[in-house]
Amino acid sequence: MTQYPPPLPSAVPGASAAPAPAGIVVDDVRRSFGSVHAVRSVSFKARPGSITALIGPNGSGKTTLLLMLATLLRPDAGSIRIAGIDPVTEPHRVRPLIGWMPDALGSWNNLTVRSALQMTHRMYGHDRAASAARAEQLIELVDLVELADRPTRVLSRGQKQKLSLARALTNDPAVLLLDEPASGLDPVARIELRELLLGLAAQGRTILLSSHVLAELDEVATDAVYLDHGVTASTEAVARARATARSWRIKALEGAQLGPALEGIGVDRARISTDSQGFSVTMTDEADAAAVLSALVAAGTRVTWFAPAAGELERTLLDLTNGDSA
Amino acid sequence: MSAFLRGVGLIVALELKQRVRGVAWYVILGVFFGLIAVVTIGVWVITGGWGTSGGALFSSVVYFVLLLSSLISPALSGNAINGEREGGTLATIQVTAITTGQIVIGKWLAAWLASLALLVVTLPFLAIAVGIGAVSAATVASSLAILTAELGVFAALGVGLSGLIRKPLFSVVVSYLVVAALSIGTLIAFAIGGAVTQTTVTQTTVESNYSVDGSPLAGCAAPSTSTYSAPRFDLYWGLLAANPYVVVADASYGDFTSSGQPNDLFGTIAYGVRQAQIPPETERFDDYCHMNGNGYVDDRPTPQEAMRSGVPSWFVGLGIQAVLGAAALFGAWRFTRTPSGRLASGSRIA
Repeated sequence: MTQYPPPLPSAVPGASAAPAPAGIVVDDVRRSFGSVHAVRSVSFKARPGSITALIGPNGSGKTTLLLMLATLLRPDAGSIRIAGIDPVTEPHRVRPLIGWMPDALGSWNNLTVRSALQMTHRMYGHDRAASAARAEQLIELVDLVELADRPTRVLSRGQKQKLSLARALTNDPAVLLLDEPASGLDPVARIELRELLLGLAAQGRTILLSSHVLAELDEVATDAVYLDHGVTASTEAVARARATARSWRIKALEGAQLGPALEGIGVDRARISTDSQGFSVTMTDEADAAAVLSALVAAGTRVTWFAPAAGELERTLLDLTNGDSA
Repeated sequence: MSAFLRGVGLIVALELKQRVRGVAWYVILGVFFGLIAVVTIGVWVITGGWGTSGGALFSSVVYFVLLLSSLISPALSGNAINGEREGGTLATIQVTAITTGQIVIGKWLAAWLASLALLVVTLPFLAIAVGIGAVSAATVASSLAILTAELGVFAALGVGLSGLIRKPLFSVVVSYLVVAALSIGTLIAFAIGGAVTQTTVTQTTVESNYSVDGSPLAGCAAPSTSTYSAPRFDLYWGLLAANPYVVVADASYGDFTSSGQPNDLFGTIAYGVRQAQIPPETERFDDYCHMNGNGYVDDRPTPQEAMRSGVPSWFVGLGIQAVLGAAALFGAWRFTRTPSGRLASGSRIA
């Protein structure tokens, strides 16, 4: 079973030190496929110890960006540095530092889980004994012990996802590039993944991940990069989107009496809305929300729930998208 | 260098485990073994018992391995690279320390090794042929060495095309077409070329004079002249040089009977190619009159003697094939290198 916090994944058994920190710097990178401009202008930084969420709708260029970071695709313009090294000119120096988890679920069908992981580890130049030990660690880490000697073709989607994650972690990478790592995972596995990522980031690794499940990213991401039509949202746009008024959900033991109570403490009726879930109030910022909450409590309302109606990432993404179309 | 070979070895091991190993492969080898047994019996029936020479059997089995591997090898190797890309595992190799060169060479060697299994299965039959006798060590060594090289060429063409062409089905088909172009296409081009390039031969004949009742008269008849056209195969024999069957034959013809006749298929085919090198005589003169009384004298050289005068071509043919195979592998390396620059539309990386 996976332990919490997870055991330190390390390249060589016995050596548990995390690799030297390595950040990602992307500056105005673009890449097109014929007439399709998959990535138009992407710039961001991811520092060691952070978990950066790559957020954007389908077709916004997330996978293309990750392929360029994974040394598989050459940008048409712009620069990428991973641990200060250019993956375009020196891919052989970058590859041992990164772990890439593709969105495609490919695996060597005739190999067992164990031999597939051993094979991957040996491809980084490690000897047979070290690879055997590393494969055992990884199988434990991603909780595939019972399937270790089964051919990978029998794995379910979620199990293949775990195998793919283990493969990305094989060489104890300082930089992790994860494309939709949580898709296909059951809720327990998602929690385990979250804990694993938090543990890996705490060791000083740089983690960049894309996901559609924004609520999930909200819980792990320390930074966010918003992508739309191949362009990263500027810091100002993100700040503006974050600064816009947002809706907070409030519940109280008083039930429907909450409405009059809100008006009683001076909240304008226009800011209050109701739906099947109860009451929502538009707050300009967190200070505003805190003021409303303390006033409600002071007025004797027994508040049981007081939280933003949508996750931070989701709200920012929606605001950015709306801002574009407006 | 050893690190490079280590990586190549890993790819070979992965390839053999992943793509070749399996029940289907052993079934193919079993069927192949059965077919060779049938061929052995067939050769025995055709040649009316073994006699003293195993040459016919030996050369037949070698050619059968060549035929079967040219039918199997494109299917085995023709999707080595693009099939792995479709499966989504090629990119996971490319993000490791394994280089594109190691991937291409490893896959080529694995495909070659797999087709050599066909040769290993036939060893009992080759041993029977050698046991019967009159198969020289030189013939055994050269034919097996050239056969091995030909299997390497087929594997290189298949793996190379699988890297050059994005769609696995298409690259398998093209691999088959290239192997067929070498095996059959050269033969067809040779035949057509000879047929359309004819030359006029003038035949002058001197006959004896005969009386009405058939008894010979003194003196000879006046020379009679006729013309006919003959194909110029000598202009096109070079096409045959690139044919895998001709390459094997041309390198391995050493064994002849005491009367100078070919002992096996190698000699027969090599002799045929050497004959095609000789341009037809445009002025022929046959004097049957003055030959009278001496009977017909066959002063033509025997095949064994003719082989000494012809131009050997196997190294040219093998050279052409090696260049084709190497070019395909090099192209595959260029197309598969990462980080990828230009990509065909609709293609995926991972």
